[in-house]
Amino acid sequence: MYLAIREMRFAKVRYSLIATIMLLIAFLVLFVTGLARGLAYDNAASIQNMDATHFVMEKGSNHRFTRSQLNGQALAQAGVIAGEDNVQPLGVKMTTMKAEGLAGKLDVTLLGIRPEGWLMPQVTEGEGIATGETGDVLVDRKLKDSGIGLGTVLVDQASGLKWRVSGFVSHESFSHSPAVFLNEHDWQQLQTGTAARPEAGGAEEDGGAYSAIAVKANKHQAEQLAAELPDDEIVTKSDAVSAIPGYKEEQGSLLLMTIFLFIISLFVLAVFFYVITIQKSSQFGILKAIGTRTGYLVRSVALQVLLLSSASLMVSILLVQAIEAVLPDGMPFRLQASTLAYTSAAFIVMTLAGSLFSVWKVTRIDALDAIGRSAA
Amino acid sequence: MRHRLILNEITHTFEDGGMQRTVLDRLSLQVAEGELVAVMGPSGSGKSTFLSIAGALLKPTSGEVLLDGESMAGKEKQALSDMRLHKLGFIFQNANLIPYLKVEEQLMLVAKLGDMSRAKANDRIGELLHKLGLDHRRHAYPEKLSGGERQRVAIARALMNDPAVLLADEPTASLDAGRGMDVVGMIAREAKERGKSAIMVTHDERVLSLCDRVLYLEHGSLIEKY
Ligand SMILES: Nc1ncnc2c1ncn2[C@@H]1O[C@H](COP(=O)(O)OP(=O)(O)O)[C@@H](O)[C@H]1O
Ligand SMILES: [Mg+2]
Repeated sequence: MYLAIREMRFAKVRYSLIATIMLLIAFLVLFVTGLARGLAYDNAASIQNMDATHFVMEKGSNHRFTRSQLNGQALAQAGVIAGEDNVQPLGVKMTTMKAEGLAGKLDVTLLGIRPEGWLMPQVTEGEGIATGETGDVLVDRKLKDSGIGLGTVLVDQASGLKWRVSGFVSHESFSHSPAVFLNEHDWQQLQTGTAARPEAGGAEEDGGAYSAIAVKANKHQAEQLAAELPDDEIVTKSDAVSAIPGYKEEQGSLLLMTIFLFIISLFVLAVFFYVITIQKSSQFGILKAIGTRTGYLVRSVALQVLLLSSASLMVSILLVQAIEAVLPDGMPFRLQASTLAYTSAAFIVMTLAGSLFSVWKVTRIDALDAIGRSAA
Repeated sequence: MRHRLILNEITHTFEDGGMQRTVLDRLSLQVAEGELVAVMGPSGSGKSTFLSIAGALLKPTSGEVLLDGESMAGKEKQALSDMRLHKLGFIFQNANLIPYLKVEEQLMLVAKLGDMSRAKANDRIGELLHKLGLDHRRHAYPEKLSGGERQRVAIARALMNDPAVLLADEPTASLDAGRGMDVVGMIAREAKERGKSAIMVTHDERVLSLCDRVLYLEHGSLIEKY
């Protein structure tokens, strides 16, 4: 609009300063959001990468993979309801290992899967694992930093079992610990090795012991599963992710940080706009006196804020993407298009909310101020 | 003869710390088209209050203001705003131009607010700036103008929508004598030529010779001396 644009053209320095501040705020908001999402992903990557909609877990396990134990019977039953192809057994165990020939111990999460099934991750280096071959595992690329390479032998501290690293996968972790994938046979061996609970039927004749069953199911099937498996519970993927040790706490603090960042930004911008509006109140008075409607002035203020915030936002998006490109690989940072879109929308809404106070002020300015009453 | 501005029995009372102060007391005035009326009076006599009421900026406690025969009583804020835009031209003490608009843009703003077509607006801007001797300052910002030039731009802005009534609040206060005469001369001429009713509040004795009537605001009403 006429006034808004001409004013910004005239007071370039002032408006560039405001734009710079908004740019920094937008950058900070995006960066923290990216870190939060990155940490979230890094924490639960392996579960999030899974193509499942639900997980079947033991009742009373509180949605926690590590607490749940199921037998082959549940797997078969689930397969009947959701379809044989839509269920996959999954073993999850957090453990400590040593690598032969290397000093120090490693905290990892063992994930037992069917190599032919749809839980199998993509191998980025080396060879995959197969059902027939025992003793081979795939490990997350992050373990390379600890000196692990193809062929390194890993020793599980609790059971003493040994596995050979046959390949690497990327972005696979559970509760921030790197994932180690093993086939069903090796997983079962681990279960018998570490005294399985008898009541859970960990024995081989039951068809094995798992932590959970990954399921691809629609809403109807999920309800049916819940009805048919009274001893188990059906957990949605997002619930299962939130129940990963440390996940909720970590995301909670990050969310709180982001919210506070938004609130603080809101206040900073609100004060900024307000001070500017106060400085211009005599101008607004004159404009009103010569017949400018209040609505026109309000739209003018809102338009300025919108222009400034969208311009700063665009620059900060470019900036964040540039930073993302140069961040080291191990840095958990993740800003997907959808996250970017709603964070940007929230930022724009926030800046407009910040201008509300000024808009209110504009509506209160009296055209009478234009006439020199003070001469009295 | 048509009276484009009529004030009927205007009374205005300010509430001042629990005390009622009647600033205007049954004040009546009719200004004919083509007429420039000067209003004088000591500080605090109510000149600005009077001008604000005549200019639809302040609602009187009682009484009626008619602009081109149309009453302002009972009108909504927006309707009053539109009335100021189309029927009234204000010339303030300190020109009060918008600092970030160039001279021609000050006028273009008024044209835009009044939904004037661009071509017509450009013609009118050219005509007004020429008449007020501002051709060469068309693209200047107010900060680059002299006091007299600023006041002339303010006059041009007030005339942009061809209003029925011109209201000036001490337009010569910040000008030297020669410039002051020029500015008042322009207001008087504009009123004559286009049949407008004009009121000017002033302390400046030198410009009275250019006015058709001189009135004094005393005890809340207007008195003609001489
Ligand atoms: N908003 C207001 N509230 C209370 N008193 C006011 C207000 N505006 C003006 N007055 C009083 O009304 C009187 C007339 O003021 P004004 O019209 O500004 O006089 P002038 O312009 O002639 O100097 C003064 O005594 C002033 O103090
Ligand atoms: Mg005054």
